[in-house]
Amino acid sequence: MREVYVVGVGMTPFGKFPDRPYYDLGKEAVVKAVKDANVDKREIQAGYVGNVKAGMAPGQKVFKTLGMTGMQIVNVENACSSGQTALNLAYSAIASGQYDMVMAVGCENLTGGRTSGEALAPDQDDIEGILGNVMPAIYGMRAKKYMEQYGATPEDLALVAVKNHKHSSLNPYAQFRNLVTIEEVLASRMVAEPFTLLQCCPIADGAAAAVVCSKEKMLQLGAKGVKIDASILVSGLFKNQPSDLTVPEITQRASRLAYEMAGMGPVDINMVECHDAFTIAEFLYYETLGFCEKGEAASFIRSGAAELGGKHVFSVRGGLLCMGHPLGATGVAQTVEAVWQLRGQAGDRQIPGAKTAMIHITGGGVSGMDNAACGVHIFTV
Amino acid sequence: MSGQPTIDTNEPVFFHPDLFVVPTNGEAPYLLGYKCEDCGKVWFPKLEICPECWTDLKQITLSRSGKLYSYSIIHIGQRGIKSPYAVGYVDFPEEVRIYAQLAIPHEKLKLGMDVEVIEGVVRLDKNSNPVMLSYMFKAVE
Repeated sequence: MREVYVVGVGMTPFGKFPDRPYYDLGKEAVVKAVKDANVDKREIQAGYVGNVKAGMAPGQKVFKTLGMTGMQIVNVENACSSGQTALNLAYSAIASGQYDMVMAVGCENLTGGRTSGEALAPDQDDIEGILGNVMPAIYGMRAKKYMEQYGATPEDLALVAVKNHKHSSLNPYAQFRNLVTIEEVLASRMVAEPFTLLQCCPIADGAAAAVVCSKEKMLQLGAKGVKIDASILVSGLFKNQPSDLTVPEITQRASRLAYEMAGMGPVDINMVECHDAFTIAEFLYYETLGFCEKGEAASFIRSGAAELGGKHVFSVRGGLLCMGHPLGATGVAQTVEAVWQLRGQAGDRQIPGAKTAMIHITGGGVSGMDNAACGVHIFTV
Repeated sequence: MSGQPTIDTNEPVFFHPDLFVVPTNGEAPYLLGYKCEDCGKVWFPKLEICPECWTDLKQITLSRSGKLYSYSIIHIGQRGIKSPYAVGYVDFPEEVRIYAQLAIPHEKLKLGMDVEVIEGVVRLDKNSNPVMLSYMFKAVE
C-alpha cells in the first residue's frame, strides 16, 4: 500500500444557513481546498462526497458547476460517519494505486428542511424510533448508567461544554463562540435527562473538503502534506443481549485498529477531535480511546489534560457541541482542523508543536447496534 | 419491518402482534422472544433466522418482568408523544435487552428496579387521542 497525504483543505464556517443549499456550501469548500492545495482542478481524479439528508447524487450537484465532471464521483451516506467514510474511500483509492489525487468532501444543510423543537430520532421503521426514542435519550441512558457506576455528577459532565465553548471562542469557523459557565450549562433547558440544551450538539449547516494524494504526487507538486497514518472504518455489531453501555464497543474496536495501523498509542497523540454529540460522549471517549482509565474521565478533564495547553487536547475547534453537527460534513471538517493544527495554521487555538492528531466519529441510531458506523483516522507531520 | 403501523384509522393501532401478546381472557400481557436452538441466544424483535448461526428461530414467551438497566426522561421528544416521557432499557432473564416507554412516575425511577410488561398508549394524534397501543413497562408492585 502507498503512503497517503492530505495536501489541501478548506471549509465553510458552520452555522445556520437555511438559504444556502448543501451543494452551494460544498462548492465553497471544494474551491477552498483545491486552491489551498495549489493544484489544477483537472488533476483531481475522483470525488467522494459525504451527505446524509439530501437524497440522490449530491456529489454531482457539488462538482457539476465547478468544471469537475466526468471523473468518478461516489456519494456516501453512512450516518454521522459519512464524512470520515468519504475520507476512508479517498485514502483507499490512493493507497491502492487506483488514483494519484482525489478529494473527500462533506456537505450538509440541516436547517433548510427541518423544524426545531424536535429531537433527532431513529427512523420510523426502527422499533425504537416507533416507540419514541430520540438520540439525546440514547446518550442520556448511557450517561445515567455512567453517573451511577462511577459517581460522576452533572457538574462533571457540564465541564465538557465549558471547555469546548472556551475552545470555540477562539475559532472563527464555530457556530457558538461564547463562553459559558457550569451554572449556565446546567440552567439551560432540559432536553433528555441528564442533558440540558448546552450539553447537546446543535444542528448546523456546513461543508468541508480535503485534497488527498500519493507521496509521489506530493513530491512532484513540491507540497508539504499531512500524512494519513491510519484510516479505519467499521460498522456496529448487532446485539440484543445486555451489555455495558458505558463501554462503546464500536469505538474501542475502531480505535484499536487505528493505533495498530499507525503503530502508535494514546501517549503519542497530541489532539483528538471526537464525536462529542453530547457531553457524556467525550467522557466515554477519553476512556475508550485510551487516554484515561475507566471511570476516570472527570479527573482527566479536571486535570486540564483535555484543554488547550494540556497533553491530549480534545475538541480544540469546539467539537460538535460548539461547531454543530452537519452530519455528512463533520468527519471532513475534523480532518480540516487536524491539518490546520499540524501545519501550525490554527490561529488563536493553535496547539503549540502539534505533531499527531486523531479524529473519531461514530453514529447512526439503529436499534440493537452500539452505532451504525465508526471512523478513526490518525494524522502526522 | 413487517406490519408497519399506519396511523390514519379511528381505532388505535396495536403494535405489534409478533412482539407482544395481550390475552383476550384477561391474563397478563407478555412479550415474545425468538430463540436459536443452536447457540441458545434470544432475539427481539422478531427475526426469522439467528443472525449468528442462520438457524431457524423458535418463538418463546419472555418473562413478564425484568430489571431497568438505564433510563432517560425526554423533555424534547418526538411529535405524537406527550413530553416529558420516560424511556428505558430493560434486561430480561432470557438475556435480552428491550427498549420501551416507561409508565412509571418519574420520581420513582431507579436504575436496577424491577419492572413488568403492560399494554399502554405509545402515540397520540394531534387532538391527544390514542393512535397506537403497544408494550410499556411499569414498576413491579
